[in-house]
Amino acid sequence: MPSLAYVLRRLAQAVPTVLAIVVLNFLLLQLAPGDAADVLAGEAGSATPEYMAQLRKSFGLDQPMWLQLLLYLKQVVTFDLGFSFRHGMPVSELILSRLGPTLLLMGTVLTLAVFVGVLLGSLAARHLNRWQDNLISTLTVLAYATPVFWAGLMLIVLFSVKLGWFPTSGMQKVAAFHEGFAKVKDIAHHLVLPAVTLTLFYLALYARLMRASVLEQASMDYVVTARAKGLTERQVIRRHVLRNAMLPVVTMAGVQVGAIFGGAVVVETVFAWPGLGLLAYESLFARDLNLLLGIFFVSTCLVVMVNLAVDLCYSMLDPRIELR
Amino acid sequence: MTLQRLTRNFLALAGALGLTAIAPVLAQGTPQKGGTLVMVVQPEPPTLAAYQSTAGPVGQVATKVYEGLLEYSFDLKPMPSLAQSWTVAPDGKTVTFKLTPNVKFHDGKPFTSADVQFTVMDVLKKVHPRGVNTFRAVTAVETPDPLTAIFKLSEPAPYMMMALSSYESPMLPKHVFGTGDIATHPNANRPVGTGPFKFVEWQKGQFMRLDRNPDYRKAGLPHLDRVVARFIADAGTRSAAMETQEAHIGGFNAVPPVDVKRLSGLPHIATTYKGYEMQAPIVQLDFNTTKPPFNDARVRQAVAYAIDRQFVIDNVWFGFGKPATGPISSNFKANGLYTDQVRNYNVKNGVEMANKLLDEAGKKRGADGVRFEIVHDVTPYGEEWRRFGEYVQQQLAKIGIKATLRYEDVPAWLRRVYTNYDFDLTNNWIQTLADPSIGMHRLYHSNTIKAGTVFVNNSRWTTKETDELMNKANVETDPKKRAALYHDLQKRIVDASPLVFVHELNFVTVYNKRVNNFPVSPLGLYSAMDTVWLAK
Repeated sequence: MPSLAYVLRRLAQAVPTVLAIVVLNFLLLQLAPGDAADVLAGEAGSATPEYMAQLRKSFGLDQPMWLQLLLYLKQVVTFDLGFSFRHGMPVSELILSRLGPTLLLMGTVLTLAVFVGVLLGSLAARHLNRWQDNLISTLTVLAYATPVFWAGLMLIVLFSVKLGWFPTSGMQKVAAFHEGFAKVKDIAHHLVLPAVTLTLFYLALYARLMRASVLEQASMDYVVTARAKGLTERQVIRRHVLRNAMLPVVTMAGVQVGAIFGGAVVVETVFAWPGLGLLAYESLFARDLNLLLGIFFVSTCLVVMVNLAVDLCYSMLDPRIELR
Repeated sequence: MTLQRLTRNFLALAGALGLTAIAPVLAQGTPQKGGTLVMVVQPEPPTLAAYQSTAGPVGQVATKVYEGLLEYSFDLKPMPSLAQSWTVAPDGKTVTFKLTPNVKFHDGKPFTSADVQFTVMDVLKKVHPRGVNTFRAVTAVETPDPLTAIFKLSEPAPYMMMALSSYESPMLPKHVFGTGDIATHPNANRPVGTGPFKFVEWQKGQFMRLDRNPDYRKAGLPHLDRVVARFIADAGTRSAAMETQEAHIGGFNAVPPVDVKRLSGLPHIATTYKGYEMQAPIVQLDFNTTKPPFNDARVRQAVAYAIDRQFVIDNVWFGFGKPATGPISSNFKANGLYTDQVRNYNVKNGVEMANKLLDEAGKKRGADGVRFEIVHDVTPYGEEWRRFGEYVQQQLAKIGIKATLRYEDVPAWLRRVYTNYDFDLTNNWIQTLADPSIGMHRLYHSNTIKAGTVFVNNSRWTTKETDELMNKANVETDPKKRAALYHDLQKRIVDASPLVFVHELNFVTVYNKRVNNFPVSPLGLYSAMDTVWLAK
């Protein structure tokens, strides 16, 4: 098992990485023309010059850029993500309220995609070149090639508009305002379509990867040895092949947490799922830089943590991998 | 936004394409009590501080919670609301409001003239983007007793009487907003008003919930138990939510024109473009009149002639519009301010006229048939504007102007057009609002050429005569004389053509046929909806 010291050392190493990303994000966002005051006044439909100047002053936009950057860094190291003037709320509060739905969606998608993907991949590998393999391979290629937003809309057309099984969008039924268990059930009901949409895409990837990986492992000497020992085919697959074949899938899943985050923006938009992705998308067009930087910061931390978790997973799946 | 365009197209394909006429407003039967009205509001409002943002989504929600001194009828006449009567002194410099008695805020405290004084003098005059202008003539609000508010003006302000709705000038409780900094007040997102619905909660990214105010000043109202505003970022999904009846009403093109045609074919959906009369948006092309080629009025007129307005309405806006003749919307025919007796650019032989004018202006065609090249900016407020840009590009090619299209996002476009003035020609749309003095002067008066301020005079065309006409119209209290001033103004502006007036945009409200008594005022979705009821 990895030591606590290892985890702590990895976390310490992450600090400069995260800070460098914060600075880079800040500088990149400065390149976008126009600012939050322009947007607010644009939405208001009209404004006086005094009002605009007052807005910029209260946003701190009248300060030179390097000073804004320094102030921001000073805030970030004390875990203060600042204030979103657009929303009139502290950034951390906004992010916390939206983190839950995103984690729920991402967690569901990742679990489903890895689990079903591994299952389908091994199934295809075991029935190599038979109809099961052909069917799974064709379907996964199709799922992988389908644009996520299109898949989402088609699911809405079929399951919401035509069949009426699931709601089109949102996270809860707003006319009802359920409480307790009914609320959990309601949220689960709303989760189905967005989760399936996003899962379809990643599932395809993991299934393909798993198939290739199982095929590769199956030709290894240790499998022959295991068979020679008289183990049943089932035992060979479960105890020996699967564990080894899982490694690339776990690596891929870890790397892709960031990407799922990106894919979530599209799904959150289509299904009006109140997650971070949607918030990030809106704050970019509103030039709400404090909020956007805050979201980037949180997602950077999230990716760093997941990568650490993946490394820990390795040593559990394959004890030969040593964490130093 | 390619994503949105694609999603819309796919949904349009997925459904049946039915075309039907706009259904009449349903207002029959006995009102039924109860029910939850679900509105789709697009986009999600950034705040609920209606006293410092006139953003549309804010108005659609906040007007259920706050009320104004007045409401308005479809012929643009003031009607009682929080003020039950009012008198304007003969010199126009004193306006006395008698307030409706026994009105309580949602926290149980009474609404009095002190609240009016506070709202106008300390809030709207200071932090409201339009209030600064609307109430510029107000020097004091006197409160001789709790139910009388007397506005003292430095000069007559006839336009002010058009800007006292709950949307333009919401009345706030002094005992709540009187303490602390109004610009960052903690109650901004927890509004306390006198309206038919009380604010309950706002789940950011999802919905806002407003519940029936049992102590509403109008006995028996509102009919609805609850109003919920939902936020759905994707246009295709919004249409699907209307289709599955998860949402009951959506306006300001929350359902895009391309889907309106399809949805209105469904048995449970109705559409209307009533209820936007006090917004009066006009689609226009803004010239940069300070540099060649558009510093020459003949060149501007040529472009104005080249545009076939009906073609644009039919093919880009799916028929939701009406050709515009000038800077004032034909909605103002109701109070006499509008005239169509101006130079008419909407003629059959427009392209021919345009070519002739350009020849006269000395803009000769080169060997390739091109007279000169420009960049045409496209306003980033949706797909229609791109299609419109492409149409203009094509028409300009016919008169020898080679236009390159440029697309940017909202902040970048605003910066270019209203701060840096780094443009030749941009398409745009401006709400001319409840009175020309509030909505229209800002586009033509020399004192509104202010870099960094959005939706003001960006073409930077002015003349002494037109400035003078606007100054006079600001303070003219005789409706006939005021109308005459505006008729003269419209002639002059249309002649000089600092903008091309293309068409009066019709927003569409799409609603479920179970929704009754909508719209009941020219403010449409910006009204209290106390009389709206939902059939079971």
